[in-house]
Amino acid sequence: MSVPRGAVHAKWIVGKVIGTKMQKTAKVRVTRLVLDPYLLKFFNKRKTYFAHDPLQQCVVGDIVLLRALPERRSKHVKHELAEIVFKVGNVIDPITGKPCAGTRFLENLSDSENLTEADTTYLSEKLQELKVCSTDK
Amino acid sequence: MPMKGRFPVRRTLQYLSQGDVVFKSSVKVMTVNYNTAGELSEGARKFVFFNVPQIQYKNPWVQIMLFRNMTPSPFLRFYLDNGEQVLVDVEDKTNKEITEHVKKILGKSKEMLEREERERKKLSHPATFGPKKYHLRECICEIEGQVPCPAFVPLPKEMRGKYKPAVKNEA
Repeated sequence: MSVPRGAVHAKWIVGKVIGTKMQKTAKVRVTRLVLDPYLLKFFNKRKTYFAHDPLQQCVVGDIVLLRALPERRSKHVKHELAEIVFKVGNVIDPITGKPCAGTRFLENLSDSENLTEADTTYLSEKLQELKVCSTDK
Repeated sequence: MPMKGRFPVRRTLQYLSQGDVVFKSSVKVMTVNYNTAGELSEGARKFVFFNVPQIQYKNPWVQIMLFRNMTPSPFLRFYLDNGEQVLVDVEDKTNKEITEHVKKILGKSKEMLEREERERKKLSHPATFGPKKYHLRECICEIEGQVPCPAFVPLPKEMRGKYKPAVKNEA
């Protein structure tokens, strides 16, 4: 039943793309939490995997989901790109479906609509100060 | 001499083994997206601080990834073996509620855990003795009803190796 998938122990992994210089292959760094036996604290342990990316749609910095191939594609490539979870610079919040960056949504970015009266007066005052007057000398 | 850190109890084996979320075998990856500031992410932050070590201790083969400040809303995402993804919104939930919910949807039930315990117990016979790794007792002298270890209680003269030839020599 599970023989078709699995030249590898890791069937599904999530990692960050660190290199795309190879043709149709993405270098992905996967971090796992490993318990330090003395401190009894979990630390990230990294491992790099190579994933087959036929359309070369990965950019460095993407968070991707990899699926294990049924048999090894080459000496190092044992996984393929299943899905790009978060595209760098273009993160879509899965709960609302809207594009976002950090802790704010990118939807309504038109500043002029959200400015209040006080804001406009303050900004115009600042602009006045910045004006270079040739009569100062 | 107290332990170092804010809540060093998190770094004790007793606390780690108290975690009761054991994932079903189909769960492969768990991803937690949360924010380092804001009231809505408070529960998620506590979950990551207190409960994620317990979960990882009980499920060493599940990959857990933490993402900070990527999206405004905090959520958990599980990737299952059949390609299915489970999205759990944790906005405005306490860390206890989050663990309960996760246990309900993707955790092994108590009966399953007990059944697995019993299966594991069946494999090893408690009456045998041998290396500590596989048995409860190492030597036959530890079993009650058997001859005690001569290191603690000297053997009676008849059982010692040098008694029989000594008697023969005398006779």
